[in-house]
Amino acid sequence: MNWNFIAGDYLLRLPVADSDRTILQTLLQVPEVSAHIPRLPMYFEAQVDDEFRQMVQRFDAREAAFWMVENSEDKLVARISIQHINWLQRSAYIQWELSDEIDLDGLSVVVSAIKDFCFKNLGLHRLEMRLRPDFQRHIQLLEALGFEYEGCLPEQLEFQNENIDLAVWSVLAK
Amino acid sequence: MKFTPELEFEGGKVRPLTLDDLDHLWNIYQQPELPGQSKPKEKEQLARLVDYSIKMAATQRGMMWLLEVDGQVLGMVNVYDWQASLLRLTMRVDGLPELSIKHRQAALSACMDFLAKKYHTRNFAYQWIDGQKEEIRTMLTNLGFELRATLRDAWRVGNSGFANIEQYHLLNNQEKPKAGRLGEFDNPAQNINKDVPTETQKETK
Repeated sequence: MNWNFIAGDYLLRLPVADSDRTILQTLLQVPEVSAHIPRLPMYFEAQVDDEFRQMVQRFDAREAAFWMVENSEDKLVARISIQHINWLQRSAYIQWELSDEIDLDGLSVVVSAIKDFCFKNLGLHRLEMRLRPDFQRHIQLLEALGFEYEGCLPEQLEFQNENIDLAVWSVLAK
Repeated sequence: MKFTPELEFEGGKVRPLTLDDLDHLWNIYQQPELPGQSKPKEKEQLARLVDYSIKMAATQRGMMWLLEVDGQVLGMVNVYDWQASLLRLTMRVDGLPELSIKHRQAALSACMDFLAKKYHTRNFAYQWIDGQKEEIRTMLTNLGFELRATLRDAWRVGNSGFANIEQYHLLNNQEKPKAGRLGEFDNPAQNINKDVPTETQKETK
């Protein structure tokens, strides 16, 4: 199965450990990019090494897949992943980390392609996103992309001495 | 070493699984409560479940109890998706048709009390799957659980069907241990047997 594909002006490809370290760190060191998850910004090389190790291991275990999303100028504009793939229940979590250089139109094309890939090629039935409930930009994007709000799960994480609730949004195969 | 304790509740008890329980497990799994749950074909398959229950408890990933009422095994209490560091987990009680809601509730409550005391669990989740007995929802409300999300088509039923999951949560009032060195803030560090005094108790002192 080919996990790399083109969606409109965007290339979605699996990361390459040797050459992608710097560009991934450039994206993920911006605090706002991962704040909705939430996750610490990626400041140090050790964090990048760990991230790549996890991405490879989790993909090998068919538990997750991570796509680097590049625009027509070969610039990384997002990392989008599916995680916690449950092949029995045919569901997975989707997570995105977006730069300011991808807008709703671009994201619509990319997410639509990922949905097609997940529902048609992987046979999944449900994609859900869990994120902090107070990040309006992401909520607007989810609504525009056809995700439905399902509720908010309390105290799912502890991050920077704060209990973090996570809102659940999902989209189903038709 | 025993990781799953025997706990008593009014009218019955919960206890760990042993290899002598294969007939009991077979009986429970032949009458599944969960929509779409398949039945095991051979009793020997359930021996793996006993082994699994010990490993899960030893590594703090899950816990399984058999539920007895008046000496009769009528169900199981399960802990899964246990995030010990985050002080949260998910629970479920699977019972035979004759298990009353009163005993189901008492057994669940006894297990939750144990988990709150022993492992400082604060956040209990319970997933009710569309198609299960309605009275289970009432039981959850009685215990103080609140419906927090309805996960659409999140439970697979058969080859092509799906059911919604209602996810309930109960947050207990137990204070979280503060991070610090051993002894600092009267911190229990990794000694999970040590009680953590609440703010009220500290003020009383």
